[in-house]
Amino acid sequence: MEHYTRSALAVLALLLLQTTFVPFLSIGGFLPDPLLLWVVYVAIRRGQMEATITGFLVGLLQDAVSMQFFGLSALTKTIAGFVAGYFFNDNNTEQTLGSYRFLTILFLSSFVHNIVYYGIFLQGIQDSVFSTMIGFSLATSLYTVVVGVFPMFTFVRKYRFSQSL
Amino acid sequence: MFKRIYNLALVFKEYAVLSVLLVVSLILMALGDNAQLRHVRGVATVAFGVVQEQLSFIPRYFGLRGENDILRRMNVDLADEASQLREARQENDRLKKLIGLRESYRYPVIAGKVISKNLTLLRNTITLNVGKFNGVLPHMPVVGDGGLVGIVSSVNDHYSVVRILLNTDFRASAKLERSRVDGILAWDGNNLILGNVAKTLDVMAGDTVITSDYSSTYPPNIRVGVVQEVSEQQGSLFKAVYVSPGVNFVRLEEVFVLLYLPDSERLDLEQPAPQKTRR
Repeated sequence: MEHYTRSALAVLALLLLQTTFVPFLSIGGFLPDPLLLWVVYVAIRRGQMEATITGFLVGLLQDAVSMQFFGLSALTKTIAGFVAGYFFNDNNTEQTLGSYRFLTILFLSSFVHNIVYYGIFLQGIQDSVFSTMIGFSLATSLYTVVVGVFPMFTFVRKYRFSQSL
Repeated sequence: MFKRIYNLALVFKEYAVLSVLLVVSLILMALGDNAQLRHVRGVATVAFGVVQEQLSFIPRYFGLRGENDILRRMNVDLADEASQLREARQENDRLKKLIGLRESYRYPVIAGKVISKNLTLLRNTITLNVGKFNGVLPHMPVVGDGGLVGIVSSVNDHYSVVRILLNTDFRASAKLERSRVDGILAWDGNNLILGNVAKTLDVMAGDTVITSDYSSTYPPNIRVGVVQEVSEQQGSLFKAVYVSPGVNFVRLEEVFVLLYLPDSERLDLEQPAPQKTRR
């Protein structure tokens, strides 16, 4: 129960961050996605099932806050959680989180997430949906990966600390 | 069966959860009405249409009976509608002709519809749906699209009976339009004959027969028909001039009653003086 409460609080904090602070990090209109970072973290730490459900709930919350296209973030984050969950390995959780593998999983999940997101979001708005979708997805995913470097370093330090004991 | 499904769901629980959540997300998206969603809906409709078109060769057996019933009913309705339209077109043609006819008479007219007719007797009549309330009176002439039809013989409030040309009681003073030869038009039970035409007079088949100025019953110059045949009768001073009526009584449906009555002053004058009978 305590675990779920902490998770909920973390999600709320990240949501607050995304709606207040993250817009200031905009580069060329692209923003990182800290909530996706959380979903990938849950996938590596808790497994595919929990990541899928977390992705859905986090996405739903994000949709409720943004009121832009209700259900779209829920859909994409569910898929992202499911994709990230494939890399769950109960024995190597700390190693995965504290290595470039975390960034690779993050990039892959983020890319799938953004492909689906922009694939739907740009329908009827842009003429050349495919190239725009690829461009936006790559940019947003890379930015999220860059932001993901910071928690990775934290995990590395934590992992080394635990190893030194 | 259910246990097997349950076991299968357990094995693939991640996929099951994913499917459920995706469906929920899609439903939530579908509840909205964004521009993107409208576009996706449009694309989906087109894609579905293409697939449906490709699969349309597979007959839908379960729906065929119901579809057949609907189509049969539609067929009957459409046939009925087509029949009504044909009828309306024919009526329109007839009425157009009648309008032209109406404008060709100098007298006011009352339009009437033939509601019954008998054409197989010696004294044939037709019944019209107009009567005294419409201004129809006995002895008023009746015309159709081909010319003279007859004369009103009796009237009640809403109906009137017309004695037509094909009636042994029918008499009319008529003349040939071309040669101005006069005669008395009558029906002998088989033919319409212009009588009292001397053998020496100029009569040809195809001549148009019209009512003459001598008629006290009909206004002059109403077309009656055309001369069909002229025959010389042995031992007679007169020709037999057979006239084909201008009106097709079999197909007659609409007529005009001319608001024309014989001039009573003229009738009074022409009335023969009463003769004293000898005892």
